[in-house]
Amino acid sequence: MEIMHAVNAALHRTRLKAAALLFMLSLALVAVLYTLLVLNHDPNLVSLTERLLPMSLGHPLGTDHLGRDVLTRLLLGAQQTVGYGLLALLIAVVVGVPIGIWAGIKGGLIDRIMMRIADSFLSFPDTIVAIVLSGLLGAGIENLLLAIVVVKWVSYARLARSTVISEREKDYILMARINGLRTGRIMRKHLLPHVIGHVVVLASLDLGKIILLISSLSYIGLGAQPPAPEWGAMLNDARPYFQSNPTLMIYPGLMIVLVVLVSNLLGDYCRDKFDVTKEVQS
Amino acid sequence: MTVLSVKQLSIAGPQNGVVHQISFDIQQGEWFALVGQSGSGKSMTASAIGQLLPPNMKATGEIWCGGRNLLSLPPGEMREIRGKRVSYIFQDYQGSFTPFHTIGQHFEEVQRTHLTLSKAERRQQANSALISVGLQEEMYDRYPAQLSGGQLQRASIAIALLLRPDLLIADEPTTALDSMSSFRVLELLAKLQQDTGCAILFITHDLRHVRKYADRIAVMKDGHIIETDAAQQVLHQPQQSFTRLLIHSSFSFGNLNPLPSAGE
Repeated sequence: MEIMHAVNAALHRTRLKAAALLFMLSLALVAVLYTLLVLNHDPNLVSLTERLLPMSLGHPLGTDHLGRDVLTRLLLGAQQTVGYGLLALLIAVVVGVPIGIWAGIKGGLIDRIMMRIADSFLSFPDTIVAIVLSGLLGAGIENLLLAIVVVKWVSYARLARSTVISEREKDYILMARINGLRTGRIMRKHLLPHVIGHVVVLASLDLGKIILLISSLSYIGLGAQPPAPEWGAMLNDARPYFQSNPTLMIYPGLMIVLVVLVSNLLGDYCRDKFDVTKEVQS
Repeated sequence: MTVLSVKQLSIAGPQNGVVHQISFDIQQGEWFALVGQSGSGKSMTASAIGQLLPPNMKATGEIWCGGRNLLSLPPGEMREIRGKRVSYIFQDYQGSFTPFHTIGQHFEEVQRTHLTLSKAERRQQANSALISVGLQEEMYDRYPAQLSGGQLQRASIAIALLLRPDLLIADEPTTALDSMSSFRVLELLAKLQQDTGCAILFITHDLRHVRKYADRIAVMKDGHIIETDAAQQVLHQPQQSFTRLLIHSSFSFGNLNPLPSAGE
C-alpha cells in the first residue's frame, strides 16, 4: 500500500514538474515571438525626457533612469544572458569532453597528469576563480566567458573520463581495436555516445548556475559592460533608484530567477529521462 | 604451412610472470586447443598475439605470423593484421557488441576499415555472412540486445570470419552459452573452418568442448605448457598427472563420479 502511495506521489510530482516546465517554456516561446514580431524599441536609445516613466501602452514595463524601454531591455537581455550562458556551456563541453575521453582511454601517466590539473582547478570555488580571472584579464563579456569555461570544463572532463573508464574494459572496445579501428574513431563512435547522455544531464543542471554566474559578475561590473542590456548589469544600473522605482530591480531579478528555475526543471527532467543509474537505485 | 608460430613467449606483469617461455605452432586449417584452468595464462597468450595486452603487461619472445614478428610490429601495421589475418571471438558475446550500434553497423565498420567496397556490395557480403552462420537477413537491422546469446555469438563469428582471416582465436566462446547453443556454435565453427580453411586457436577450460573437434591439444598449467600432442593422444594416453586430472574432472556421462579418481 505504502509503496503504491509513494509511487503515486512520485508520479504526481513528476507530472507537476513536467507541467511547470511546459508552462515556462511556452512563456519563453511567447517572449521570443514577441521579441521577434512586435518589439520595435532600441534598447540603447537614451531619452532623458522619458526617464523613469511608469507602465503605459508605449512602455509596458516603464522606462529606466535614462529613458530606455525596460521590456525591450529585458527581452534583448535574455539573448545576452541566456545566449552567453549557452555559449559558455557549449565551449566548456567541447573542451572538457574530448580531454576526458582521451585521458580515460589512454590511462597511465597522461591520465594522471590531466586529472591532477583538473583537481587543482576544482579545489577553488567557481565564483572566486571566475572573479580572479576576469579581474586579471579585464572586465568584459568575452573574458567572463573565458573565465567560466576555465572553471567549468573540469567537471565535464571528469564525467567523460569516469564514464570511459567504466566502459573501456568491456569487450566491445577490444573488439573495435581487433577490427582495426584507430583510437580516434573508437573515441567518437563507441565511447562518445555513452558519454553524451550524462553530459546532457550535467549541462542542463549547470546552465542555471552559469547564468547566475554571468549575471552576478555583471552585477559587480566584471561581465557585460553598459549599455549592454544584460540582466545583472541592469540590476546594478537600477540600484540608486531602488527606493523610488523598485520595479527597475525587480524585473531583471525576476527574469534571472525564472530562467534559473526553468533550467533547473529542465535539468531534473533530463536526469529523470536519461540517467539510468537513478532508475536502478530506486 | 604454419600460420602462427609462438616461440619462447613470456608474459609478465609488474610483479610476477603470468606465462613462462611457451612455444607452439599452429598449422593451416588446424583446430588447435589450448586447455587449462582459469588463471593459467591462456587468455593472456591470446591477447599477446594481437598486441592486446593491458598496458601494465609485457610480452617477450617471438610470435611469427606471415613472416613478421607480431610482438615487435608497430601499431599501424598491427592494425592491418588484426581483423584481417587474425581475428577473435570472446566468451562475453553480449559485451562484444557496442550496445547502441546495430549488427549491420558492426559489419559496416569492419568492412569500411579494411575493404574498399560499394555500399551495395558491403550489404550483400554481410547478408551472405549472416546466412552462413544460420541467421536471418533481418538481423542486420537489429540491436544486440534484441538477439539471444546464441544468435549474438553466431553474429560475432560471422563478423570475425568476414575478412577470411588465417587464424581465428576463440577465447572460451561457448562458456557462457547453454549446452544446446554451445553445441550449435561448435558445429558451426567446425563447418566454417572447413569452408574457409582458417586455423582456429580454441581456448577453453573444458575438455568436453574440444574432444570432438580439436586436432591438437596443448595443456597449460600455471603459465607453462606441460603437454602438447595430437588430440587423441592427449585424451587417451595423457603423459602428465595434471592432464589426467583435467580429463577426469570434465563431467561426462560415462564417468558420473569423477572425484574418487581425481585424487590419483
